[in-house]
Amino acid sequence: MVKTTLKTGAAVVALLAAAPSVFAQDLTIGLRAGPDSIDPHWSTLGSQAEALRHVFDTLVDADDTLQLTPGLAESWEPIEDTVWEFRLREGVTFHDGTPFTAEDVKFSIERIPDVTGPMSMTLYTKYVESVEIIDDHTVHVHTNGIAPALPNDFTRMFIVPASIGDGVGNEEFNSGEAAIGTGPYRFVSWEPRGELVLERYDDHWRGETPWERVVRREISDDAARVAALRSGEVDLINYVPASDYLALENNPQIETFIADSVYILNVQPSVVDELPQPVRVNGQVIEENPLQDLRVRKALDYAINRDVLVNVVLEGLGTPANQLMPEGFFGYTDEIGEKEYDLDRARELLTEAGYPDGFEIDFTCTNNRVPGDSVICEALAQMWSRLGLTVNAQALDGSVFFPAAAAKEYTMAMSAWGTLTGEAAYTYGAMIHTEDPEKGFGNFNRTGYSNPEFDAVFVEGTQNLDEEARRALYEEASLISMQDRALIPTVILQTVWAAAADSLTFTPRVDQETRAYEIDPVQAD
Amino acid sequence: MFGYILSRLLQAIVVIFAMSILVFVGVYAIGNPIDVMIDPAATAEIRENLIRQYGLDQPLWRQYLTFLGNVAQGDLGRSMIYNTSVTGLVFSRLPATLELVLVAIGIATLIGIPAGIYAGYRPDSFGAKAIMALSILGFSVPTFWIGMLLIMGFAVQLGWLPSGGRGQVGSFLGIPTSLATANGWSHVIMPALNLSLFKMGLMIRLTRAGMVEAMQTDYVKFARAQGLPESQIVFQHVLLRNISIPVVTIFGLELGSTLAFAVVTESVFNWPGVGKLIIDSILQLDRPVMVTYLILVVILFVIINFTVDIIYARLDPRVRLGGKK
Repeated sequence: MVKTTLKTGAAVVALLAAAPSVFAQDLTIGLRAGPDSIDPHWSTLGSQAEALRHVFDTLVDADDTLQLTPGLAESWEPIEDTVWEFRLREGVTFHDGTPFTAEDVKFSIERIPDVTGPMSMTLYTKYVESVEIIDDHTVHVHTNGIAPALPNDFTRMFIVPASIGDGVGNEEFNSGEAAIGTGPYRFVSWEPRGELVLERYDDHWRGETPWERVVRREISDDAARVAALRSGEVDLINYVPASDYLALENNPQIETFIADSVYILNVQPSVVDELPQPVRVNGQVIEENPLQDLRVRKALDYAINRDVLVNVVLEGLGTPANQLMPEGFFGYTDEIGEKEYDLDRARELLTEAGYPDGFEIDFTCTNNRVPGDSVICEALAQMWSRLGLTVNAQALDGSVFFPAAAAKEYTMAMSAWGTLTGEAAYTYGAMIHTEDPEKGFGNFNRTGYSNPEFDAVFVEGTQNLDEEARRALYEEASLISMQDRALIPTVILQTVWAAAADSLTFTPRVDQETRAYEIDPVQAD
Repeated sequence: MFGYILSRLLQAIVVIFAMSILVFVGVYAIGNPIDVMIDPAATAEIRENLIRQYGLDQPLWRQYLTFLGNVAQGDLGRSMIYNTSVTGLVFSRLPATLELVLVAIGIATLIGIPAGIYAGYRPDSFGAKAIMALSILGFSVPTFWIGMLLIMGFAVQLGWLPSGGRGQVGSFLGIPTSLATANGWSHVIMPALNLSLFKMGLMIRLTRAGMVEAMQTDYVKFARAQGLPESQIVFQHVLLRNISIPVVTIFGLELGSTLAFAVVTESVFNWPGVGKLIIDSILQLDRPVMVTYLILVVILFVIINFTVDIIYARLDPRVRLGGKK
C-alpha cells in the first residue's frame, strides 16, 4: 500500500517537473474574430484567411509588411502578356499523405465559383481565364488581359487537395472530413464563434513550429478578452482596446506588441454636381458644391491637426497619414512630405474660394468598424469648426453606413480603408479611378472624383508587367491623387497585442494577422 | 378549456404572422446585406451576381412570399455567413443559453423569494433594509459592469474561477450539458450570478410588496386570532395563495426575455449562446438568421405566456372559473 502511494507520489512529482515544458508546447490565443467556415474558399473575410492559413497554404505568401514571399510556389513570373508561370514546391504532402501537385492548384482555383459565399472569393480569381497544367510542378495561369497583380491576389487563395472531389462544401470542411491542407497545423475541431483547435503537422515544408497544440479562441468582447489574458486563460490576445492599452503597458506581468496596421481613416469629400446632403451658407442652401473647389479641400486638409488626433484622441495608438497606404507599400511615394497643420493658411484658402464665413456641412462616419473611428470623427468636426465651418458630425453603425455610402447618400464621409494586398492598385482601382463598371474600376469611388490624368497613369501601371516601371507609375498616381485631395487621409491606426511578460515573442504584422507559427516561445533560463 | 386553448392558438398564429412581416420589412429597410459583406475590392460584376444569387434584386413582396413558401416547406433558410441551416445554427447554441438561464433563474428564485418574504415579513428590521438596498443595486447597476467586476475579482485577482467560456460538457441522463461536470459549473456560476442579479432584485421587490400588503389583511389577522402557527400563515395562506400569481407572471416573462436576450452577459463572459449569435448576425446583416431568430423568440414568448396562464388557473380558482358564474 505504502509502496503504491510512493510510486504514485513519484509519478506526480515527475509530472509536475515536466509540466512547464508541456505548457510551453501549448498556445492559446484569444482573438476578436475567427473564421465563418473551415472551407477556405467560402469567404474573403480577413479573420477567415488568418485562421485557415494554419491549415492550408497559399501559392504566394506575404511577409510582415505584405511584400510577397514564396509559398507553395517557389517562384513565379509572367512568360507572356497574359500567362503567368508558377513553379511549385516539390516534396510537399497534404495532411493525409497525398503529395501536392499541379492538379490540386487547378482544382482549387476552379472550385471557387461553385462554393464561395456572399463575401465572394471570385475576387481573387477575377483575372484567371484558365489554368493549364504543364507538369506535376508547373502551372500556367492564363489571364483575361494583362494582370500584374495576380500574385498578390493569390496570397489568400488556399490550396485544397483535388482528392476531396467536387460537391464538398461547408459541412464536410466544418466536420473535419475535408479539412485537409498542407499547412503547418492539422485541423482538430471548430465551433462557430468558439474555438479552433489545431495540432502541429510535423512534415510541414517550412520546418517545425514550436507549438504542438494551438487553440484559437474567439472572444469578441474587448474587455472579456483582456480579462482572459489577465487571468491567465489565454497566452496572447489581439486587438487590445485603446482604453486598456495604458493599463496593460504599465502592468509588469504583461508585455505589449504594437504595429502600424494597413487601415487608414480617410475623409471622402463628394465632388459631384448635386450634393446628396445640401450645404448651407448662413442658413441658406447653396446651389454649388464647395467641395468641388480644390482650395476648399485643401483648407479641410490644412485644418486637421494630425498630432492631436494621434496623441490625444487615439492616446498614441496611431501614426499621422500623408497618403492612402503606409510607408514601404508598393506605390508609396516619398514625394509627399509630412502633412502640416496650418489653420491660418486654411482660413485664407477658404476665403479665396469665396467662403469667408464658412458653411454648414454634414459629415458621416462609421462608429464601430475600427478602433477610434467615432472619436476621430468628433475631433475632426471640432477642428473644422475652428476653421469656421459648422459640421454636423454623425457616427453610424457599419450595417447602416455601408449600404448608404454605396448609394452615395453622403456629402462628406469617413471610413477606414486598408490596402490589404500591400500594393497600390488594390486601393486606387477601387477608390480613386473614375467609376467605370465596364472596366471594373471605381467600385468604391464614393466621391465622384474623376481625373483623366490620374486614370491614364494608373491604367498604364496596371498594364505594365515590369515591376520597377510599374512602381514608378503607381508612385506618380499617388502624388496626383494626393495633390488633388481626392481623399484626405488622417491617421494610420495601430494594432496592439498583449501577452504574459517574457512568455513569447513575435514580429507584429501590418495586416494584423496573428500566426501561431510565426510566434516563438521565450525559453526560461 | 379546449376552446380557450384553440383561441389562444389562433391568436398566436396571427401574432407570429404579423411579426414575420414586421421583421421582414424592418430588416429590409436596413439595407442590402451584400454591401456590408462584400469585399471592398470586388468588381461591380461580382456584386451584381451575388445580389441576383441571393434574390435581393426581387421586390420586397416577392422576397417575402418566397420566404413564406420556404417556411411552409419547413425550410427556414441558410445563414449567409456560415452557410449552414439557420435552425441547426440556433439549436446548436440553444443548450448553452438554456443552461445559463436555468441556473440564473434558479439563483434569482432561491435567493430572491426567501429574501423578499423576510423583507416583507419584518419590513423595519435592519436585514430587510439591507436586502432592499442591495436589490436596488441589482436593478440599477449595469449588467456588463457588474460582470467585469466579478471577472476582475474572482478570475483575475483571486484566480478562483475562469473568466469566461463554457466548461467541459458532460452527460446527464443522456443530455449533453456542461452542468454535469464540476468544470462546467465553475464556468457557469459567475455569468449566471451576473445574469440573475436583475431578476433577483425584481423577485425581492415583488415578493416583499405582496407580503407587506398581505400581512395587513383581515384574513391574516383572523388566522392569527385563530392561533395558527406563523409559518403556516406565511407559507400556506400568504405565499402560496396570494403573492404567487404576480411572481409566476414575472418569472415567466423574465425566463423568456432572458433566454432571448442574455446577450450582454454572454458577450462579457464569452458564453457561446444564442444571444451572441443574434448580435453577430445583426452586425453582419445576416438576414435569414435575424428573421428566423426573431420569429422563434415570438413563438417562445407565446408558449411561455400560455404556460403561465395555465399555472394561473391552477393557482387561482377565480381564473379557473372565470366566465362561469
